[in-house]
Parts: sequence; structure tokens; C-alpha cells
Amino acid sequence: MKRKTNTKLPTVDNIIGNFAGRPIRIIIVVVSLVMILFPLYWLLTSSLKIKGEYLSNPPVVVPSVLTGESYRSVFGKDHMLEIFLNTFIVAAASTAISVVFGSMAAYAVARGSIGKQAKKIFGLWFMVQKMYPAIATAIPVYLVMRTLHLIDTRTALVIMNTSFNLPLVIWLMMGFFEQLPKELEESAMLDGCGFTRRFFLIIFPLTKPGMIAAAILAFVGAWNEFLFACILSINKSKTLPVLIAGFITDRGLEWGPMASTAVITLVPVLILVWALQKHFVQGLAMGAVKG
Amino acid sequence: MAKKKSTPSAIRKSRSDKVASWLFVTPTMIFLGITALLPLLYSVYLSFFRLKLNLPNAVPEFTGFSNYIKMLTDETLRISTTNTLLFAVVSVALEVVVGLMVAMAFCSDKMWARCATSVFLIPTIMAPVAIGTLWRMMLDATTGIINYFLSFFGVPSITWLSSPKTAMLSVILVNVWQLAPWVTIICAAGLKSISPDMLEAACVDGASNGTIFRRIVLPMIAPLLTIVVMLRFVDAFKVFDTVYVMTNGGPGTATEMLPNYIYKQGLRFFDAGYSAALAIAFVLVMTVVTVGFLKLRDRLEAEI
Repeated sequence: MKRKTNTKLPTVDNIIGNFAGRPIRIIIVVVSLVMILFPLYWLLTSSLKIKGEYLSNPPVVVPSVLTGESYRSVFGKDHMLEIFLNTFIVAAASTAISVVFGSMAAYAVARGSIGKQAKKIFGLWFMVQKMYPAIATAIPVYLVMRTLHLIDTRTALVIMNTSFNLPLVIWLMMGFFEQLPKELEESAMLDGCGFTRRFFLIIFPLTKPGMIAAAILAFVGAWNEFLFACILSINKSKTLPVLIAGFITDRGLEWGPMASTAVITLVPVLILVWALQKHFVQGLAMGAVKG
Repeated sequence: MAKKKSTPSAIRKSRSDKVASWLFVTPTMIFLGITALLPLLYSVYLSFFRLKLNLPNAVPEFTGFSNYIKMLTDETLRISTTNTLLFAVVSVALEVVVGLMVAMAFCSDKMWARCATSVFLIPTIMAPVAIGTLWRMMLDATTGIINYFLSFFGVPSITWLSSPKTAMLSVILVNVWQLAPWVTIICAAGLKSISPDMLEAACVDGASNGTIFRRIVLPMIAPLLTIVVMLRFVDAFKVFDTVYVMTNGGPGTATEMLPNYIYKQGLRFFDAGYSAALAIAFVLVMTVVTVGFLKLRDRLEAEI
């Protein structure tokens, strides 16, 4: 804008991007990237440092040697493989269940004939459940799981994560279903295609991107879930977040193993999200727009 | 024409539609009823009783409203409420301002901006527990990197997480690190939907960047920002994971927040009744806040 070369109009990018001038834009870009990337660099290098270096004062910014010591220690001492498997099974199972049943319910509420009143009530319920804090049901759930002898089982964690993910999936999928043109279903209806077949043969393939978005959000949520994993597990059904928190509360400053566990926790979801980035961002944006 | 002809069969279809719709929705309803609604009602029930969790065979003892009355004189509850409010207001305000500014600076279709989105996704998908411990490591008073960097500027060693004032600041800043990128991603999507013609027209007319921001960009994304603020605010009230691993409410009660306090009452002090009463009060307040926000959004949308 400041430069008077008016041969080319400033593009939209530059109008919004240079809202406070070009130098400030560059500063914001550089500072924000450093702010995000440096802690991640610190996490990664800490996981590869030798014990003397992750505990040294002053801290070592560039490690002199890289070692897999911390990774070996978490796989050996902390049963990493088992915990990783727990986390994966819990996240995958609860995602699969909530996406299948959640989109069915969402379709019925968005497009089915269950009556206006019921629609309104369900819509409100899903929203309220998305809003209220997990801690509100922690104690009753703990008591019930204790009575049912489900403490320290993956089943308990799958049940609870599915319970958190269903409202999220329903909420997102309702948005995607409402975007579909009604004519599509009407013509299918005239061709004698029933509700169930309509859903599985026509709607399901069309809203695949939406389901992928919902599935990643659900998976990441369950993968990172901490409160219930912490309350409902003792040993056998421990998940990665519980293990990470354990490094702080149980033993002193084991930054190396802690960092390697955090890296192991981050990498799988990072690969998943990057591979399906377009869908994931769409899901995030959709969730916000729907509110 | 085709529609008219098929009216009778459409009615028959709609009846089978109705059955199928209910079949689609019922499993989810039953499941959520058992795993979400029932525990909530159980919480309401427990809130009128006294039950010690550490005694496996303890029988709940009815005490009426005494758990709720206890809240009125609970000093820690008062402090945690103030803390939670302070935390929510400050961190959400920072997240929205920083998030929007960064989203605007990165507003471009070029390669570098798209790569940056991949970077902003990382804090959004990282386990909050991992974020909390990572920052706890970086903020450590002796081996932490933050104090080391600050020492270059002559700042003496700060005990970030063990002195009351800096502990709250740290928890807030970590929340900003975790969620400002989320705001950026959402806002970036919103900024893309602003019509380029309008911006270019304003530019031709000689409007300054500041005017364009105030008159066009801000009003266009105001509804989105309202929702972002609402979602973030409600979420900030529920903050648990990062606080739990960074300070666990300490030092003293300096960073005690409501979810952490409810957790402590129930699972540290084993007072299930009081914990449930706190949770129910919390849910009621959250519902009021949410409804208030939704009303505000409807009004904003009506204005546009």
C-alpha cells in the first residue's frame, strides 16, 4: 500500500496480511513460528539427550550427542508397547462406534421423520452434553464402574470415550447432512429407495469427507483424553497421557523419558492429521461455525 | 407431476421412514442415556448425601441441602471461582487477539502460508497433558530453558510455577500457546470467505488498511469471532489437564480452578457428596453462560 507502484492492485492477501504494514507482518510471522516450533524442538531434543544433558544447569540448547536411551527406558521399564496398544485400541474402537452410530443418529435427526419436537430436544441435548465438563460425571461413573468391576479395563475407557465423542460426531454430521440438497433424497425416495438404503447407498458415500473429519476429531480426542483414563485405570488399561502425567507425580525430574513418551504420543496423531489435513481443518472450522 | 402421482406411496414410505428414523436414533439415545444422562442424575442424587469414597462399603447418608450450604462458606471454592474466571477471561482475550492477528498475517494462498497451517495444527492436536509437562520442563527454575534465555537479558532466575503470581501467568500463557493456533486456524477459514471484490473496491477508493480492518474485515467475521469466544470461554472453564500436571492448583491455591477443585474434593478427599454438589452447581452456571452466549450470537446474526 505504501509503495506507490499502482501498476498492480494490491491483492486480497496483501490487504488483509499487511493490516499493520509489511514489517509488522514479517515480525508476526517469524515470532509466531518460532514460538510454536521452539518448544517442539526442545521436546524432541530432550527426548534424545543423555541424562547429564537433560538435567544440566545451564540447559544444553544443542545436544552434543543424540541417544535413544530415554526411548529404550520407556519401552523397557514403562511397558510402552502395552500402553501404546491400549491407547490405540481405545481410540480406534470408540471412534469407529461413535462415527457409525453417531452419523446414523445425526441423519435421523437432520433428515429423518422423527417429528419437530423430538428434533429440537435431541439437538439441544447434544449441545448441552458437548458443553458440560467431564468432571461432572466422573464420580458417579467411577462408582458405577467399580460396582461393575470394569475399573482398569479397556472396555470402560471405550465406553466413556464413545460417550464423549458421540455428541461431537452427531453435531458435525448434522451440519454435513443439512448441506446436502433435499432433491437427491426425494428422487431416491420416488425410485422406491427406503430410508436405510438411502442412507447407506446415497448419503454415506456423499458425506465421506465429513465422516473422515469427524473420525479424526474423535480419534484425536480419545487418544489425548486424560481425566477418565486417569480415574478408571490402575495398570492394565493405562493410556499414554496417564503415563506422561505419571513422570511428574510419581518420580522426580525424568525429563528424558517424559519427553520421549510425549513424542511417541504426538507422532501418530500428527501423521494422521497431516495426511488428512484438509478434512481435519474442515472439521475444525465446521465445529466452530455450527457452534 | 411425478410427485403428485406418487402421493399415496409417499405416505406409506414416510411411515416406514419414521420407523427407520427412530431405529437410527435409538441406539445412540440409549447409550448416551446410560453413559451421560444417568451419571449426571446420579450426581444430582449424590449431592444430597454424604458418602466417603475411601470406605468401600459406606452407605450414602441423606443430608438434605447441607452440601450446597457448605459451598456458601467454602473459602477455597470462592478462590477457585475467582481464579477460573480470571484464567478464562485473560486467556480467551489473549487467544482471540493473538490468534486473529496471526491469522491475518498468514492470510495468503502461497505455499509458505499453507505450510504454516500444518505447524499451527501441532499444538491443537497435542495431548494437553504433554503440553503441560513440556512447559513444566521449560519453565523449571534451574534446568529450564526459559530462565536461561531470560538470563541473557539480565533477568534473574524466576520460580515460574512455585510463586503464586507467576504460576497463574504461566498457566495462562501455556493455554495461549495451546489454543491461539486453534483460533488462528478457525479465523483463517473465516478470512478466506470475505469477498475480494469488496476489499479491492475499498482499496481503490483509498481506504487505509486500518479502516478496511475496522469497517470490512471485523464486521464480516464478527459472528465467527463470537462463536470462537463462546467455545473458548466454555472450554477455558473446563481446563483440567494442563493445570493438573503443571501446578495441581498450587502453590497453595494460587492456580486452583473449579474442575481441579471438584476432582480433589472427590478423589483426593473422597467426599463424593460435596464433589457432586460442586459439579452440579458448576453445570448449572455453565448452562446459563452458554444460553447467554447463544442469545448474543442470535442477536448479532440478526443484525447482519
